[in-house]
Amino acid sequence: MTTVILAAAAAGSSNPILPAAGEIVWSVLSFALLLLLLGKWAYPPVKKMMADRAAKIRGDLDAAELARTEAQRTLEEYKEQLAQAKRDATHILDEARQTAEALRADILAKAEEDAAVVRARNEEALRIERQRVIAELRSEVGSLALELAEKIIDAEVDRAASQTLIDSFISEIGATRA
Amino acid sequence: MLFAGINFPPISDVLNWRSIAFNGSPFALNKVGLITLVAAALTLLLFFAAGKQGKLVPSGVQNFVESIVDFIHNSIVMDVMGQEGVPWAPYLTGLFFFIFICNIFEVIPFIQMPATARMSVPAPLALMVWVTFIVVGIRAQGVRHYFKNAIIPQGVPGALLILLVPLEILSNFIVRPFALAVRLFGNMLAGHLLLLTFAVISEAMFVKSVGLAILPLPFAMLTALTGYEIFVSALQAFIFTILSALYISEAMKSAH
Repeated sequence: MTTVILAAAAAGSSNPILPAAGEIVWSVLSFALLLLLLGKWAYPPVKKMMADRAAKIRGDLDAAELARTEAQRTLEEYKEQLAQAKRDATHILDEARQTAEALRADILAKAEEDAAVVRARNEEALRIERQRVIAELRSEVGSLALELAEKIIDAEVDRAASQTLIDSFISEIGATRA
Repeated sequence: MLFAGINFPPISDVLNWRSIAFNGSPFALNKVGLITLVAAALTLLLFFAAGKQGKLVPSGVQNFVESIVDFIHNSIVMDVMGQEGVPWAPYLTGLFFFIFICNIFEVIPFIQMPATARMSVPAPLALMVWVTFIVVGIRAQGVRHYFKNAIIPQGVPGALLILLVPLEILSNFIVRPFALAVRLFGNMLAGHLLLLTFAVISEAMFVKSVGLAILPLPFAMLTALTGYEIFVSALQAFIFTILSALYISEAMKSAH
């Protein structure tokens, strides 16, 4: 302890407030050196790094915002395209439905028309046939009547024979009709 | 007598240190001088290490240094000085780191001496700040304007100036550096002596086997005060730095 006190006394004043000269020299030297080296070499890289980082973060944020806007825009576009596609599809479907309806109506009309034509032709054929048959019948009946008349005249004499004749005539007609 | 074993060393014992090199010359290097050298070297080392890491996502030393640089930039430079204070950021950062490390040696085991508890550290720093703000004021406003703005308050009747001018001179050019130095010195010296007091009491209780029963009390106090002194170390470094920034900023603007 005594040596410490003696050394302290030797180093300068023992006043607790007043410092030793050596301390001042070293503290000034240390701080001056610190300021010089810090300002010249040590501080700028750290500050630059921080500034670079801030700039990078700001840039990244801007880029992200840009990307977000772009994505939003693309989404809107896609939505619009989708809506348009839906509208188109509905339109095409409607058109197809209309076309199909028109086609169906056409085909139906055509079929009816064809059916009417066929029916008319059939009726015409029937009518002609009927006329032909009637005409044929007429001539047949005429000739038959004539024939009958002849036979009646021929068989005037023999009534019994006539009766046989009439019977055969009638069966003849039946065979013709059949 | 319970406290007979307590032997407080004389105050000079815990403040005046033997020189360990260059004994007898004006460059006599003692513990305080060594601490200031270490404070400067440590600050530079921290910055070089942080700058060398240079990672995009900082961690470890880089994170520590960057957070303090950021704190000084935002809370001192931008808040007090504004945009024109930015060139002063390295100066203020150096000041803060230097004072803080000089202070924190108060609680570093086996060293336990704040270099700032000796006037040899706060006084030159305060003097440097004093010279700095006067030079800045003269360069920014010119000799005549600067001193006129600094010592003659505006809008004061002539008669009052007789009273106010000496007061302004006193407050701006004498009290400022003095208060700056004494505030730091006084706080750190007081903290140092407080820690010392409780350490001595605890030691006496333990080593000399007196009052072992009440040893927990001074020891708890010592522990609490050590934590408190860490806070004071940072606070005093911050106060010194922010006041320096304020003085320089005031000198730059002619507002008065």
